[in-house]
Amino acid sequence: MASLSLKGIQKVYPNGFQAVKDFNLDIDDREFIIFVGPSGCGKSTTLRMIAGLEDISGGTLEIDGKVMNDVEPKDRDIAMVFQNYALYPHMTVFDNMAFGLKLRKVPKDEIDKKVREAARILDLDKLLDRKPKALSGGQRQRVAMGRAIVRNPKVFLMDEPLSNLDAKLRVQMRIEISKLHENLNATIIYVTHDQTEAMTLGTRIVVMKDGIVQQVDTPQNLYNTPCNLFVAGFIGSPQMNFMDAVVNVAGNDVTLTVGEHVLKVPASKKKYLIDGGYDKKTVVLGIRPEDVHDSEAFIASSADSVIKSKIKVYELLGAEVYLYFDVEGTQMTARVNPRTTLRTGDDAVFALDMEKIHVFDKETELTILN
Amino acid sequence: MDNTPELDKALSELKKITGMTLEVRTDTPEELENAMTQIRCLTLAYREKYNKNHFLQSLMTDSIPAYDIFERAARLHIEPEAQRILFLVETRNTLDDAVIEILKNLFPSQAKTYLVSMGEKSIVILRPRKASDTIEDINQIAHMIVDTLNMEALTHVQVAYSGSICNLLELPGAFKETSLALRVGKLFYSEQTVFPHNQLGIGRLIYQLPVSICENFLKEIFGSDIPNAFDEETTATINKFFQNNLNIAETSRQLHMHRNTLIYRLEQIEKRTGLDIRRFEDAMTFKIATMVINYLQTERNP
Repeated sequence: MASLSLKGIQKVYPNGFQAVKDFNLDIDDREFIIFVGPSGCGKSTTLRMIAGLEDISGGTLEIDGKVMNDVEPKDRDIAMVFQNYALYPHMTVFDNMAFGLKLRKVPKDEIDKKVREAARILDLDKLLDRKPKALSGGQRQRVAMGRAIVRNPKVFLMDEPLSNLDAKLRVQMRIEISKLHENLNATIIYVTHDQTEAMTLGTRIVVMKDGIVQQVDTPQNLYNTPCNLFVAGFIGSPQMNFMDAVVNVAGNDVTLTVGEHVLKVPASKKKYLIDGGYDKKTVVLGIRPEDVHDSEAFIASSADSVIKSKIKVYELLGAEVYLYFDVEGTQMTARVNPRTTLRTGDDAVFALDMEKIHVFDKETELTILN
Repeated sequence: MDNTPELDKALSELKKITGMTLEVRTDTPEELENAMTQIRCLTLAYREKYNKNHFLQSLMTDSIPAYDIFERAARLHIEPEAQRILFLVETRNTLDDAVIEILKNLFPSQAKTYLVSMGEKSIVILRPRKASDTIEDINQIAHMIVDTLNMEALTHVQVAYSGSICNLLELPGAFKETSLALRVGKLFYSEQTVFPHNQLGIGRLIYQLPVSICENFLKEIFGSDIPNAFDEETTATINKFFQNNLNIAETSRQLHMHRNTLIYRLEQIEKRTGLDIRRFEDAMTFKIATMVINYLQTERNP
């Protein structure tokens, strides 16, 4: 398998459109790295540059220490699985997986060995004689993966490979891909716009927006310590609640004022606001829905972080309840225990877990607390 | 005289097309040359008369008179009246056997899909359109072609597709329309890989203007100092400003620059071009002018 290095990678199309700007990343051998971001953020373009399907306008791409900028895709030792894959309709599963190798004139016995090995890894051994029509969506997806595996590449590139599957199958295939990474010990670069897919699959995640890398980190760190407002809002579902708050420093105490609500900033976070000179300035306060509590015990112990509102929507999801309400004109969500007694139209009191708050500079949108 | 490799190749091609096996005996190089010429003529004649690929190729390039189309189609067992879609696939490098093999297997001939080679880098896929096929389905097929060739042949491809073709008489027009879509798409929307014939926007308009009119248009706007290209940073600033619907606050935020820096840059562009792109009318003129500049540059350096 292989390590990759992308240094100052850029993509500018002939029509002037700049899709990727100064992309820097080192990918370790056997890493499962995810490029995630909204549509048009440059994640697929970056993947296609790694594949050699797009020319690199600037910067250097290295695979195992060798510069690959001008190397033809077929000489890069990569394999790809893309969103709109198609199986050859009149061929069996075996032939579908073997086809690429046949084209490259690989000896028959070697093809047989590679296909059977890939089929074993993907649990397709019993389906090798079937035609695509007789396969389920998940099985077809596994055959598409198999076509990549038989190439035995240094790097696997996957561009939204699960997008055409239904939600249930996607969850199932996520597990399969995760297992595949363990079995193959491969370096995988995976593109998705789905943050849940990113969080569950990747060892590291690259969050992109407008062709610029926003943050590269582990799923846990991205969730707990997002570097800016975009990452904070993009990672996590339901997304983080944001509201404008004015910072007030009074001696040793720091508070955040949101309309009529005054929230006391805990000691662990005060320093950043004082040192950053944010007194009397408006900042963006972020809090994840699970850190907004409605339990009486929590409210009683958090008198300095209470907010009041009226429940607009009650949404029961089985294991949890989402409560939607407004605070100073901003919609907020609380993820609470299904035993909650609150219902639509009720006057509600919540307490924020101030140890878990995020604060962002209103102008630069960068985090203040990290 | 023994057969030369050229003669063997010609005989094998004749066999492939006609099914006929010929044995050639020659005593002199002149006789060999004569035999070769006759075999080639025979192959060509058969190809013209009985080869679907050749027929469709000629039809698309308007080389078959309308009165002859249906008769020749019937002889080749090609349904003249059928709903079809034409996909024009262009590869970055010369078409290799792998691309053709992959397409042949993606669209097996039982499905009445025809693959017609149209040059070194282009191939047409003429595929029946089912009554249930929606525009979205057609677009999906185009993306499937791109993704499959990317994955299997590891090659960059771009695909344009036509509207619905009802009969073979419409094929030459559909081919022209799809070729135009591919050229316009590559020129103005180069970041995309699939170009539907009916989504070319203003690019179609500009592409069909004569070069002299484009030059006059640019002279009218910029005078004699037509900007060839802006530096990378200015281009990025302008693109982002347009993407954000001329919104200064949003653009400066996304570019991580102070709004005054952005305003300064926009004023520099105004100084250079005479166009204040903060105003809608100037922004529109600027956008069209840059597309025209782009077009002329490509026309001059194809």
